[in-house]
Amino acid sequence: MNAVTQHTLTIMLQNETGALVRVAGLFASRSYNIDSLNVAATADPAISKLVLSIRGDDQAVVQIVRQTRKLIDVLEVSHQATAD
Amino acid sequence: MPRNRNIVNAQLMNTKSTPAPAGDLHPLAAKSMSGAEVIVQVLADEGVDVMFGYSGGAILPVYDAVFRYNATHPNDDGSEPLPLIVPANEQGAGFMAAGYARASGKVGVAVVTSGPGATNMVTPVRDSMADSIPMVVICGQVGVAAIGSDAFQEAPVSTIMGACAKHVFLVTDASVLEATLRTAFEIARSGRPGPVVVDVPKDVQNTALTFAGQGQLPIPGYRARLRNVQSAQLDDAGCASFFDALAQARRPLIYAGGGVIASGAAEALRDFVADFGLPVTTTLMGLGAFDTTDPLALHFLGMHGTAYANYAVEDCDFVLTLGARFDDRVAGVPDKFAPRAKFIAQVDIDPAEIGKVKAVDWHHIGDLRRTLERLREYGAAHGIHPRQDGRYAAWHAHIAELKRVHALNYDHDSELIQPYAVIEAINRITDGHAIISTGVGQHQMWAAQYFDYRAPRHWLSSGSMGTMGFGLPAAIGAQFARRDATVIDIDGDGSIRMNLGELETVTTYGLPVKIVLLNNRGDGMVRQWQKLFFKGRFASSDKSLHTKDFIKAVQADGFTWARRLERKEELADTIAEFLAFEGPAFLEVMIDPDAGVYPMVGPGMSYAQMITGDFIASRQRAAGDETLRNDMF
Repeated sequence: MNAVTQHTLTIMLQNETGALVRVAGLFASRSYNIDSLNVAATADPAISKLVLSIRGDDQAVVQIVRQTRKLIDVLEVSHQATAD
Repeated sequence: MPRNRNIVNAQLMNTKSTPAPAGDLHPLAAKSMSGAEVIVQVLADEGVDVMFGYSGGAILPVYDAVFRYNATHPNDDGSEPLPLIVPANEQGAGFMAAGYARASGKVGVAVVTSGPGATNMVTPVRDSMADSIPMVVICGQVGVAAIGSDAFQEAPVSTIMGACAKHVFLVTDASVLEATLRTAFEIARSGRPGPVVVDVPKDVQNTALTFAGQGQLPIPGYRARLRNVQSAQLDDAGCASFFDALAQARRPLIYAGGGVIASGAAEALRDFVADFGLPVTTTLMGLGAFDTTDPLALHFLGMHGTAYANYAVEDCDFVLTLGARFDDRVAGVPDKFAPRAKFIAQVDIDPAEIGKVKAVDWHHIGDLRRTLERLREYGAAHGIHPRQDGRYAAWHAHIAELKRVHALNYDHDSELIQPYAVIEAINRITDGHAIISTGVGQHQMWAAQYFDYRAPRHWLSSGSMGTMGFGLPAAIGAQFARRDATVIDIDGDGSIRMNLGELETVTTYGLPVKIVLLNNRGDGMVRQWQKLFFKGRFASSDKSLHTKDFIKAVQADGFTWARRLERKEELADTIAEFLAFEGPAFLEVMIDPDAGVYPMVGPGMSYAQMITGDFIASRQRAAGDETLRNDMF
């Protein structure tokens, strides 16, 4: 129930100076290890799409999703759990 | 884990500037201005009436614009509309801005130069983030073309500050400077408040611009989330489940934090307690959110909170958490916090705080003041009045007994001056109406424990970060916010030394700030921990602060009222004279160097294991007493 599993987060981000660093820095400063990270442009040049995967139990992932939503230039965070 | 794939909302994704709404045009709209002039005009428009900062190459255009603005826009009495207060160190400017913000509720503003100016500001920015204090910090930066070239006084401010602030902007495009500044204020004061840093390269400050007089940056994600939280109304079902749970409770308790102060909910809390009769304990940050002299007030809880507050937390069967976050100084062992509580409710504006440390049974994410008002309306409409029904009579009697039996106390017979007696003597005169700032350590806890706090924004202390050196600059900032108020910095010899240079700032600006130095010749809190947990090995804490003559130091900085108090019998008269002095005054009190802070809930301890010291009654010692049976509940 509270097992550590792989989670994939998709973050739509305003393409501002330092925005990517703030996302990565948030995960680092809250002790979340990013297993993979992909950043891509979208049809709108003002928006980037980040797909990253982390490991954690449900509570840890809920917490980091909520913290990510506090970043000003984050537009949306969606999250899919992937069973190992 | 439920799958939560959000559908992308087209409106949310609109990051393009919205056209300015038609309306009253700013009188200066379409006027030509430099970037620096734009900054100063936006500050004036935002209602800024004082700024704190130290100059330097990369911020000089802004400083010059401030000078010219003040020269051309004098107040009716001839004073400057935007005085720029100069500290000894940028950290001082940051804490002045924070002290101003804490005392007034308005956004504090600091303006500093690039490189070291900005990095000296890191501590106050992180401190303000940790305590949710609204602040806008404008930093000069090297020219856009020089960024990344290891230029003179260059630092990666957006990266450094991005990790500590609520948000940071690096303005490389002068055309968005005006909107960015305005947005910085919006972010700083909205939602859960915090510091926002705007890094402005020097060439952007010098760019010729046209002032628009309106407009903000599109931050659609933040604004959408903010709107959701601000419009969140507690519905009937939510109210009903809250009151159903409360109806099961016999010993309900409110645990109120700094959020009550930040959201201006103190009055709503008072009315809520008047209606429903729940006793209130606050966090350190929440001191003043509820009048500590009220019979239902338990002062503050936690590591050095009052014994009666901590015992009430042990005894309660229902907790209503308001703008508080189960911080480790409150809930060192979250599982053992409020162990008899069958129901924990939490209201907060920050979704990330719900269940972060301790799972709760009921929560509402939204504005505290409106939530409390909504609960009151619902209670009134549904005939819920447990207080009038006498439902909590036994609980109130128990609370009164806890306050009587486990009251704060100390060695009244000692020959040495006890720090608690100093605070009590000041409190007798100020009666809970003075604004108190502190450094960090024992003196901070004594000031929290022994002063009355009758209203919000009278207690200014670095709660989460615990930054030594906070007290003096915060008092300076607070005095600018509340020019007629009595502002007292209760400080320690270790803490005040950290920003000692700001003594001169007090006299330079002729501020009537009162400084009380409780001198125990060293880092008392460190010594207390070393005694308790390191077998009395006073590593480093026995090395310094033995020779410093603070009286000479403050006299050198222009204090005409400066006195050292060493005799217990002179305490009352000296304090009366000190507080009555009209200008800046400095009182050093040589206190018992072995005075400790009690109660103490040590790290990893539950409240039941609280150490109360030699002078405060502990339940463990009184365990055999019939009136305090363990099976009472």
